[in-house]
Amino acid sequence: MTAATDAPVRHGPPRAASTGPLTAARLLRIELRRNAMLWMLPLLAALFWFSTYRPSMALPPWWNLRGTLLQQQALLGFAPLMAGVAAWMGSREGRRGTADLVGVTALPRWAGQLATWAATTCWAMVAYLGGVAVVYGITARQATWGGPLGWPVAVGAAMVAASCALGFAAGTLVPSRFSAPLVAVTVFLALAAGAIAIEHNSTYAQIWPLNVQGALPPDTFGTFSPYLPDLAITQVLFLAGLAAAVLGALGLRAAGGRWLRCAAAVAAAAGLAAAGTGVGLAGTARPEAHGIVIPTLHDTANDKPIAYTPVCSQAAVPVCLHPAYRSLLPAVTAALDPLLSEVAGLPGAPVRVWQVASTHLQQRPHNGIELSGPVIGGSPPVVSLPLSGMALPGEGHTTAAEFIRQLRSQVPPMLLNTLIGGDQLDTNGQQGSRSARQPSPSVLAQQVIKAALAQVAGVPPDSGVPPLPPGSPADAAAKRFAALPAAARHAWLVDHLTRLRAGQITLGELP
Amino acid sequence: MNVEISDLTRRFGRTQAVAGVTLATGPGVFGLLGPNGAGKTSLLRMLATVIPPSSGRLRLLGRDPGVYGPRREIRRRLGYLPQNLGYYPGFTVVEFVEYFALLKDMPAGRVPGAVATAVERVGLGDKARAKLRTLSGGMLRRVGIAQAIVNQPELLLLDEPTAGLDPEQRVAFRALLRELGQHATVIVSTHLVEDVGAACSQVALMDQGMLVFHGTPGELTARAEGTAAAGDAPLERGYSAVLAAARSTAAARS
Repeated sequence: MTAATDAPVRHGPPRAASTGPLTAARLLRIELRRNAMLWMLPLLAALFWFSTYRPSMALPPWWNLRGTLLQQQALLGFAPLMAGVAAWMGSREGRRGTADLVGVTALPRWAGQLATWAATTCWAMVAYLGGVAVVYGITARQATWGGPLGWPVAVGAAMVAASCALGFAAGTLVPSRFSAPLVAVTVFLALAAGAIAIEHNSTYAQIWPLNVQGALPPDTFGTFSPYLPDLAITQVLFLAGLAAAVLGALGLRAAGGRWLRCAAAVAAAAGLAAAGTGVGLAGTARPEAHGIVIPTLHDTANDKPIAYTPVCSQAAVPVCLHPAYRSLLPAVTAALDPLLSEVAGLPGAPVRVWQVASTHLQQRPHNGIELSGPVIGGSPPVVSLPLSGMALPGEGHTTAAEFIRQLRSQVPPMLLNTLIGGDQLDTNGQQGSRSARQPSPSVLAQQVIKAALAQVAGVPPDSGVPPLPPGSPADAAAKRFAALPAAARHAWLVDHLTRLRAGQITLGELP
Repeated sequence: MNVEISDLTRRFGRTQAVAGVTLATGPGVFGLLGPNGAGKTSLLRMLATVIPPSSGRLRLLGRDPGVYGPRREIRRRLGYLPQNLGYYPGFTVVEFVEYFALLKDMPAGRVPGAVATAVERVGLGDKARAKLRTLSGGMLRRVGIAQAIVNQPELLLLDEPTAGLDPEQRVAFRALLRELGQHATVIVSTHLVEDVGAACSQVALMDQGMLVFHGTPGELTARAEGTAAAGDAPLERGYSAVLAAARSTAAARS
């Protein structure tokens, strides 16, 4: 059937397109006011307090430690939740049944979606950067050296944007009330999978956003030499590329004109290229003592050590630390001074303990590293002490007493072995069963003195000083020597150390 | 003509929702009647550019909605109220209407005034700052109408606009329809024949995807004369008579 009215034809003039900054600003204002992420801010703040703030404040006020937590802990807590909330916002039209209503509006659908994503990301950024400001603000008041690290925060911000983009796109594609929790769980599992991948693959998996300078402990970089931004640059490239690719793909899917589709295609292609480049560059990464180096991006100026004036203890043998470690000086001095005061002035004894940057040996095929320990060398002798990689007071459940115990289990045994010798069980060249390997009389004398000094210095058992059989003559001699007044011990060592070290003193000659 | 349809069809799988409808109309209020499943909503969704037709020719406001540029121009001049209005519970009335005004690409400077006018026209001035979750079903329907008219559309498509409105609101809404129809083409899909009688200058009746009547409400009423068609009002009897005739014709053909 055909139907027609007699009404006149109407051809209105084209209406002015208004799409511009003011329209975008008004849309964004509405989206900001009614965004689910805004209501999640208290939860995000609580999450930040538990996952990042408390652990940060328990650590010494070092920018590298706290910057690392702001990239790792904060993102591990934030990214899944933010992606879930973004998915909730992305699925809004589907859940609320406004798809028809929104679908027939003149503004390109992509523009509306970008406004929603931008508002969601904006609040997520407020949460993350607000947390960063709090931690860095407090650190600025507490720190004795250095300044805030920007690159971990840049990676964090890129991760926030990428999480929101991924979640938003997932919510848009699968608009369901279950999208949000599913996306949150998926992002969390993906982050966990990244941790596993990086353990088994030292190359491309370096791009994992929670990876800060590979397997290096957080206090090994950014103190003695500049923070290397190589890996962070690739991570930002990857995450920003991922966000652009996902948002571009959304634009390709949304109906629009040729120019809009071209813009979306360009964004998607550029994003994919950037993400791929990031992954590719991460594949060339190699760990160095002061951070991850990516040859293409590396600036050799960052390899130069940073000049500093150490802080030193006023003791017979001064302990000198990097100014960032000023708060640890009392503990380090307390750990080492008992032994240092015993050996001060002896031939070959150190004149100073000097903190150094740690060096490491990479373990292949895995990505683990082995950090160097303390050594004595030079003329006059100086103990080079790397503190990086140790469990610091406040880190986990480490107390100051445990930190001191760690130091005493590392430095005094090394020092005693160097000063006195006797670190070989068998000087007769016998190779056999453990019971058959007995120290020679001269080595036994060395071990007695070492055991006595270790006892005086509070060295924990099983720390590298060979134990003496309880009740044996050697054990009795060690106890006798330890019981002597400090001045008597020192005088005996002054007189006999050279012969003791040369293996010319027997058990019977000990006081 | 603001709406020109020629042999328009729409299929959903094996189901033919709209079967060869031809229609042309200019400014005025156009009532679209028909039983459930007649194809009214599918036709309205094609007119609203929500879905494309499976076949046939469609021109809206003198433009081809199949092409992006003209379609966008049509959408700037379009108002649409779907049968099931989705809404965002956390938005206020003003925010919801403003949101759609912006999505309709209205000049941003004109939006606040247009929003206030639209909200006032549907009688929600005192609820302008109320969250949508606090509104009754009838009020929500009026919010839907406000967002549809905020851009002063030249083509206004309303699917069951009076569902949920109380009699007083319905009377006010019919007056609004008549006012809008002076400048725009208003197509109202409804089950309520009294709406058609009170507000529409033209009426069409659909059944099984086809247009089985087109004329004035008076002509529809006249179709009941001399028949035993059921209905409490003359227009209802005309509606029943046309449907019965269409179905007997279809049965005879098959």
